[in-house]
Amino acid sequence: MTLLSAIAFTPAILLGALTVCLVWPPKLRSPLLLILSIGAGLGMGLSSILYFIALQFPPGRLNMPVLQTVLALVLAVFVFRKYRRTNPNVISFPSLSWFQWCLVGLTAACLAVSVLVFANYVISRPQGALDAWSVWNRAARFIYRDPEHWAATLSPDLPLLRHADYPLLVPLNVAWGWDALGNETLRVPMMQGGIFTFATIFLLFGAISLIKTPGQASLATLALIALSGIVPSGTSLVADVPLSYFILASAILMYLYALNGDLPLLAVSGFMAGLCGWTKNEGLIFIAVSGFALLIAASGNFKKALAYYLAGLLLPLMMILYFKSLSPPNDLIANTGTGLLDKILDPDRYMTIIKSFMSDFLKPHAVIMYLYTLFMGVGSVSIRQRGVLVLTAVLVLQILGYGAVYLVTPYDLDWHLLTSQQRLIFQIIPLSIFLCFCVSADPESVFFFHKAEADTGAV
Amino acid sequence: MKPIVVFFREIRKYIVAAFVVFSIYNMHLALSGSQNIGDTGSERLNRWEADMQLVRETLPVERGLIGYISEEELEGVEYAFWDNETEFILTQYALAPLILKKGLAAEWNIVVLRREYLEMWLEANPGEYEIIEVKGQFHLLRDLGEQ
Repeated sequence: MTLLSAIAFTPAILLGALTVCLVWPPKLRSPLLLILSIGAGLGMGLSSILYFIALQFPPGRLNMPVLQTVLALVLAVFVFRKYRRTNPNVISFPSLSWFQWCLVGLTAACLAVSVLVFANYVISRPQGALDAWSVWNRAARFIYRDPEHWAATLSPDLPLLRHADYPLLVPLNVAWGWDALGNETLRVPMMQGGIFTFATIFLLFGAISLIKTPGQASLATLALIALSGIVPSGTSLVADVPLSYFILASAILMYLYALNGDLPLLAVSGFMAGLCGWTKNEGLIFIAVSGFALLIAASGNFKKALAYYLAGLLLPLMMILYFKSLSPPNDLIANTGTGLLDKILDPDRYMTIIKSFMSDFLKPHAVIMYLYTLFMGVGSVSIRQRGVLVLTAVLVLQILGYGAVYLVTPYDLDWHLLTSQQRLIFQIIPLSIFLCFCVSADPESVFFFHKAEADTGAV
Repeated sequence: MKPIVVFFREIRKYIVAAFVVFSIYNMHLALSGSQNIGDTGSERLNRWEADMQLVRETLPVERGLIGYISEEELEGVEYAFWDNETEFILTQYALAPLILKKGLAAEWNIVVLRREYLEMWLEANPGEYEIIEVKGQFHLLRDLGEQ
């Protein structure tokens, strides 16, 4: 069943990868790992939207793998025509030095260990964390078991903390996966968790490898899998890892645009930002945040950049608006109102939030990353570089957004911080690691200073 | 080249090496931690799912609202709040797409009570009911006044 679940998701990944190939700028190198890792999330997001549209037309059942395969074949024709015309290196494999082979090999070994860790967790905890089955798989069951009446999953009669208003990307993918396999196997949510966990890891590796060097990409990947806790989080089978993936993907694509000015990348960035809001309500903050970041990324060409960005954002945003018109109000918004101004003006609440956030920001692994970046970053990359400013703005604004939600929360502030803050901070950790390794010196230049200038600046 | 620059360049090599070693050490911790995961509650969840399968097979409705009666509905009875809440969430998960609402909320209601507590509830809530015993503490209660 594990193999069948993997096969069920393959056409979705292929569909996404071909879409990325189609819009990828020909002048930019296109590493296989980067294309596949962006394609995996894009394909999963697109599939959830297609399935959601199909649900609006009863009986609502749709053979997704067949549809995805047909669409992928059509896209393959366009991709073939595009690359035959422009004739670039469709897939590029960089040649590595012995030192780079050592680092990449070490990272691959750690990645193999992380696959074992992932397997150990999902075998011990096949249903995932509490929220995995009580929120996400509960919604998937509503959709899979009764697609004609899928909207029952939005019933306001469902318990408040089971979040009937949560967006549907994760449950929809589980539902169509079950539909494709014909039964409610737990392997499907596990496979989705695995796809997003390892797509995040490969995305980080692929992007740093493109922007800096394979050695630097290896170190960033080591930091992500060994220090961030992404693998155990991925086995929780909740939506935080998918959201962290979409935040990372959208920000990386905007970063690449800031470096190279390739407008099609912004369309994909906008689509990924939209998928953030289609994955979790916190993703709605990211949609607003990425709009501000676009101001920095495209300061000289803003109107055109905005048009591309909105073109990508449009489809997921329409889904979110339609979904929100049907779903009950979010528990935070429904109960906010009385005493809102008092909360905003209460300095104690600010202090409580700052103290609580600092407890996460000053964890030993985070401090190690700060020190590493400080020592390795001095003089490596100008912090005034536009791409770095974009990433910094995204991170700062996202944290401020989280802080603002806590400021006006209708729940007891301490309880709310205790039960959710760690997950929220986790959502931006992969992006933080990306930023750290963008600004720090790569190991090739540290160990082989004379060769360094030739190896860096690969974009 | 200034000595301070050379010093920084040298120390960076050690920082990279230390970072790699620290990462490998953390991978070792992650692997050993994943081999000793304690009780995750998944057995309890599976048992509850199996019991609820019997409830699903007995229930004549497949969608819509059903009630949920548990110790929470009994006055003066002490109960473990989180255990009770978890059972409610487990039941909702197992019975989807039925929508569960606490209390006597519809014609069909699930009762998760030992027999003596069920008697107590019936005494406190007089009415015309049909009780179907499913298994152990699990019953179905049909509110004949709601037909």
